Amino acid sequence: MNALRADVAVAWQIARKDALAELRGRQAAGSTIFFAGLVLLLFGFALGPDSRRLTEAAPGLLWLAIVFGSLLTVARLHQLEADDGALEELARYPIERHAIFLGKALSGFAAVLVLGGLLLPLVAILYGIDLAAAWPALLATLVLGAIGISAVGTFYAGVTVRMRAREVMLPLLMLPIIAPLLLAAVKATSAALLGDPLGDLGAWLQLLTAFDIVMLAAGAVTYGYLLEE
Amino acid sequence: MTRILGLVALIAVVAASANALFVVPADVNQGDAQRIMYVHVPSAWLAYLSFGVTALAGIGYLWRRDLRFDAIAVAGAEIGVMFTAFAIWGGMMWGRPVWGVFWQWEDPRLTTTALLLALYLGYLLFRRLTDDPHRRAARAAVVGLIAAVDIPIVHFSVEWWRGLHQTPTIGSPDKVLNPSAPGLFVIALVSMVAAFTLAWAWLMMRRYQLARIEWQIEEHGRLGRITAARRAAMAALPPADGAKEGA
Amino acid sequence: MPQTTIYAAPRTREQTPPPAVATHQLARLFGRSAALAGVSMRVETGSTVALLGPNGAGKTTLLRILATSLRPTFGSAEVGQVDVASHPELVRPRVAYLSHATALYDDLTAAENLAFAAAMRGLGSPSVGARAALDEVGLTLDADRRAGAFSAGMRRRLALGRLLLGTPSLVLLDEPHAALDADGMLLVDRLMERWRAERVTVVVASHQAERVLQLADGWASLESGLLVSAGGTGVSVLDDAPAGVPAAAVRA
Repeated sequence: MNALRADVAVAWQIARKDALAELRGRQAAGSTIFFAGLVLLLFGFALGPDSRRLTEAAPGLLWLAIVFGSLLTVARLHQLEADDGALEELARYPIERHAIFLGKALSGFAAVLVLGGLLLPLVAILYGIDLAAAWPALLATLVLGAIGISAVGTFYAGVTVRMRAREVMLPLLMLPIIAPLLLAAVKATSAALLGDPLGDLGAWLQLLTAFDIVMLAAGAVTYGYLLEE
Repeated sequence: MTRILGLVALIAVVAASANALFVVPADVNQGDAQRIMYVHVPSAWLAYLSFGVTALAGIGYLWRRDLRFDAIAVAGAEIGVMFTAFAIWGGMMWGRPVWGVFWQWEDPRLTTTALLLALYLGYLLFRRLTDDPHRRAARAAVVGLIAAVDIPIVHFSVEWWRGLHQTPTIGSPDKVLNPSAPGLFVIALVSMVAAFTLAWAWLMMRRYQLARIEWQIEEHGRLGRITAARRAAMAALPPADGAKEGA
Repeated sequence: MPQTTIYAAPRTREQTPPPAVATHQLARLFGRSAALAGVSMRVETGSTVALLGPNGAGKTTLLRILATSLRPTFGSAEVGQVDVASHPELVRPRVAYLSHATALYDDLTAAENLAFAAAMRGLGSPSVGARAALDEVGLTLDADRRAGAFSAGMRRRLALGRLLLGTPSLVLLDEPHAALDADGMLLVDRLMERWRAERVTVVVASHQAERVLQLADGWASLESGLLVSAGGTGVSVLDDAPAGVPAAAVRA
């Protein structure tokens, strides 16, 4: 129906605007990817040098690096609005609040997906895992994980955007919520890399999907209240 | 009324505890350590109940914009955190003699409860950092709601995580019930849950009353400030002259 | 919203036709201070009204509430007879607000900023509308430069351009002449004249009383969150101020 198309158009415009700003935003986006790569490197120093241990831990380390990098990404995407009062202006337009949320979540999703996509080969090199065989399942896990991280991250970035101590409040509020996603994504990734020995890859992907749906819905419904003063 | 409730709760808790700790026989497999269940299970149940109340009260505030709902929400969160901490402590105390360690990652209840604690401590901390009462109430309602929505997901994910490892867990019925006297155990457990729930209700009412008094002081203060502001502004005005007339 | 009466009001017969803006004992608290302490006024459709008063008087707060960016603490406000707190979505299509902050995206060009705003306002050809608005405010040559590279005056012009997108029936201006050079200020004057000719309701908050009074039909003066006086046509203070506070005159 027309209202839905209008919402999708609005969300798309917002995501497009964010993508333009990100691509032109000098080094900010690149720095985040660099940071996440550094985290992976540091994990190597912390847990190594036994490569077998690192290979076993690789899925967990990958997703931790993605989550940490995403904290910076979602914060930045909201900061871009808050800096010049743009968020308040955005809220004044005759658009649906959930369309704003979905637009920000969409640009967040793209950013996290790119982050994950770039970290995968790095993990393959650093921790010696073979990506080729399992790439469809890995891609699915990455996509589903990115959706969930973005949904939750966009929501909490909206919660903390104008508050005191926001740099610590964002991770503090977001990380407990993301724990089940982390758990499921890591399990799915290991299962994919090992060729799904227990047959539970499907179950984990389903859990990820359920998480994504619930969090997207909850975020869309409640985001409007965050824009109020 | 609250006082009567408090008295009844106190008596119930003392009676049920005495029964659970001294009267009911010890578990054949776990010995006296199993008695911690009588405290741990009610605590966990009340933690979930409290957070459910917080989530619903948050919805109530968003619907009605009445700060009394927010008072209920904060009462639920604070009391919930208390029972959650208690449940974790109980779980660890149980774990030490049974597993040999304080923490066992494969125990889904323990890890879920730890996450619960993290979620609601975050909620309380978040509340502290916002000053304006209505803004705080709206945002806390939304944060509390997302946290509540996450709990079932956490529950399922951690259960599946456990996979094939079947180590003894807190609260699993086959370990709690002694085949020789199952009835007594169940009665003891149920009476503890009931007694603790009475105590919970009393705590919630007291905390809500406290929050309500704070809110009333705040409301009077707000209206008072507006009246004072009007008086101050009027006092500063030049006297009305005859050139102006009413519209 | 709790219906708390701050002061008792003798009833007046409401004037017809319906006003563009009406507030009823509108109050807003920020923590401990009352930015608005009970403001009751009407602004008639099509008139240009100046909102005067010193810093901290509550002008910006009032405008923000009308723009649906702030919720009232007590009392209510209506734009086109729609309550801003209960149905902000019906108010938003009709209102354009120029705030203190320019609300621009530094990494986007001027044209992209306006095209985005035009799209958000639901305009058919956003980039066309954006170019037209840029022409009007004299930024045609800078259309494809990053907004972050603009001077403060140019940023203000760009924000003014944003007001020209779509057809608002209520324009709210918060210190429009600030940070502009002489040409910029003339631009603002021209726009205000045009809105007046088009019967768009304009409420402009300003320190520069003489300048805006020349362009306005009426004025209202705020002090410490209260309306202390009003004059001219198109604006009236509702007759429920406590005794001792001069009520506004509606002079022909």
